Amino acid sequence: MRIATINKVLRRLASTKLTLLWMLLLAVGAALSYDNPEDTSIWVLIVPMLLLAVNLISAIISNPRINRRGGLLVFHLGLLSIVILAAIGRLTHMDGRVEIIAGAEFSPEIVTDVHSGPLHSGALADVNFVQGPFTVEYRPHMMRGLTQSQVALSDNEGGWREAVVGDDRPLLVEGYRFYTTFNKGFAPILSWTSHDGRVAETGAVHMPSYPLFDFKQSNSWTPQGGDEIKFWLQLETGLTAEEAWVLDGRRATGTLVVNVSGERTELLPGESVEMVGGTLRYEQLTTWMGYKLFYDPTLQWMFMAAFITIAGLSAHFWQKLAAEPLGLDDALRHEKTHVKKSASASRSAA
Amino acid sequence: MTELPWLYAAITAYAFSVVAALVGVGRLGTAMATVGGVSSVSESQRNNERLVLLLMTASVILLTITLTDRWLRIGHGPFVNLFELLISQLFSLGLIYTIAYWRIPVLRTTSVVVLPLMGVLAVWVLMIEPTDSVFPPTYHNPWLWAHVGFGKFFLAFCLIGTGLAGVILLRSYAFAKNLFRHLPDNVILDKLAWRFMLLALVFDSLMLCAGAVWAQDAWGRYWAWDALETSSFLNWLLLGASIHARATYNVPIRLGAVLIISVLVFAFVTYFGIPFYSEAAHKGVI
Repeated sequence: MRIATINKVLRRLASTKLTLLWMLLLAVGAALSYDNPEDTSIWVLIVPMLLLAVNLISAIISNPRINRRGGLLVFHLGLLSIVILAAIGRLTHMDGRVEIIAGAEFSPEIVTDVHSGPLHSGALADVNFVQGPFTVEYRPHMMRGLTQSQVALSDNEGGWREAVVGDDRPLLVEGYRFYTTFNKGFAPILSWTSHDGRVAETGAVHMPSYPLFDFKQSNSWTPQGGDEIKFWLQLETGLTAEEAWVLDGRRATGTLVVNVSGERTELLPGESVEMVGGTLRYEQLTTWMGYKLFYDPTLQWMFMAAFITIAGLSAHFWQKLAAEPLGLDDALRHEKTHVKKSASASRSAA
Repeated sequence: MTELPWLYAAITAYAFSVVAALVGVGRLGTAMATVGGVSSVSESQRNNERLVLLLMTASVILLTITLTDRWLRIGHGPFVNLFELLISQLFSLGLIYTIAYWRIPVLRTTSVVVLPLMGVLAVWVLMIEPTDSVFPPTYHNPWLWAHVGFGKFFLAFCLIGTGLAGVILLRSYAFAKNLFRHLPDNVILDKLAWRFMLLALVFDSLMLCAGAVWAQDAWGRYWAWDALETSSFLNWLLLGASIHARATYNVPIRLGAVLIISVLVFAFVTYFGIPFYSEAAHKGVI
């Protein structure tokens, strides 16, 4: 009695009319999700996907047209697994942005704009690499080409391994993917020593993205015990907008224009300037690379699930074609009969 | 632009194939109306089909030369601007339909629907400024080829299904009744059309998967609901729901034909409209 009731409920949940309804609901959810608007809740996708998952599970269990056909069963199980994996992916994912200067080691603290699922538990602290120099090719009229960013990866045994990443070749460490972006630029390394010698700090000031903001290479910094210092970087990178060009920080030079209380001073690497409260030294010019950070442990599983799903669909159609020789075969048979009739009619006429 | 004369020649050959197809089917219809059978026009029809096949083959060969010439000149394949995409689609749709036309005789009459539809692309390409494009760095990826390749099969199978659906709808009108009398019954055409739509679903799914892998490599996310992704997902849902409805319910043949045509219309808007309406990833701006 109880089994009969369960079967009845399952059959109702597996209704093919409901499938169409939930698909329609999913279509509405997808349309509302266009361009990820902030005022649209993720539930417009989750609800129809959950309903479709329930519909799918019920159909897989109760519908012999599905569970007795290998290909169709694989297809429906595959669809179900994609929905489940997408949900797990959203719960465990993480993405963010990071800017690293050449020669510096990655650290989780410098990751910004972080978005992560409530169950994210990746080992970001174990990610260990050192940013190297990079090159970006530009075609005439500043059309960006290939980016090649050099990194040194720790082998966790004291050694380092070189790798080149860029564009569609992300750096993959501990499941985290680092994608180079158009966001990259120059960073003068500065030292500040207070007059009393108590404060001595060194840091890099990230200038705006280059060459996007070629005209606006300025920033400011307030050292401990000093006033705000405004900087402007005059770069020589060989940039010619009309011709092909390669952005390479190693071949670039930069004069740092320092503005303190309205007084302008130009510094070359290695030069210092005395200021109120201390001495500012322009150590060297280096570069920074902006990466997009992405983590989703379900990626490979999703890939496999998607292709198994399509394989199931293909197998089903193959079986259908083999078992039910209609359509093409009938049409071709009709065509052959038609040709034979035509030929015999022509002979009769002759 | 050295490829333009080849393109004009290809479109001319293509235009003649459209005329030949329409004249051929028209003649067949007239003869069927007067004679009441197919026997007296069979050989003439065969000759006409050979002419259409020859002209379509010539068009495909000329488009191959057009694409090769442009590729060698600008250094990359036809993946970026609308001019390139239209030539590329004319080539792939032409190639797949020509093979189908050659190998599956029952599809030949669908040329009166399919070839004018492809004519829209041909006229469109003539109206576009043939500018050169820049290959974005994120396009240097083998998954782009898989994505585009699967998409071409998807669109071609949709087009063939639409050809059959168009014949089903057209033959219900008095003026076109005789044109398609020699074809099998609507039930068989309907089954054949849905076979192609099933194939289209397989290739649409493959296209979405390959596109997602490419997007993950290129932009660090496999799905972001950009305009093209949203539209192509809706297209996949429409195709899937249509096939589901056709397999589950007794969908009337004419309604089925309308569904098939709506899938192609949606696909057409998705692949030729959306990328150039929005500033999305697929436009190569990232």
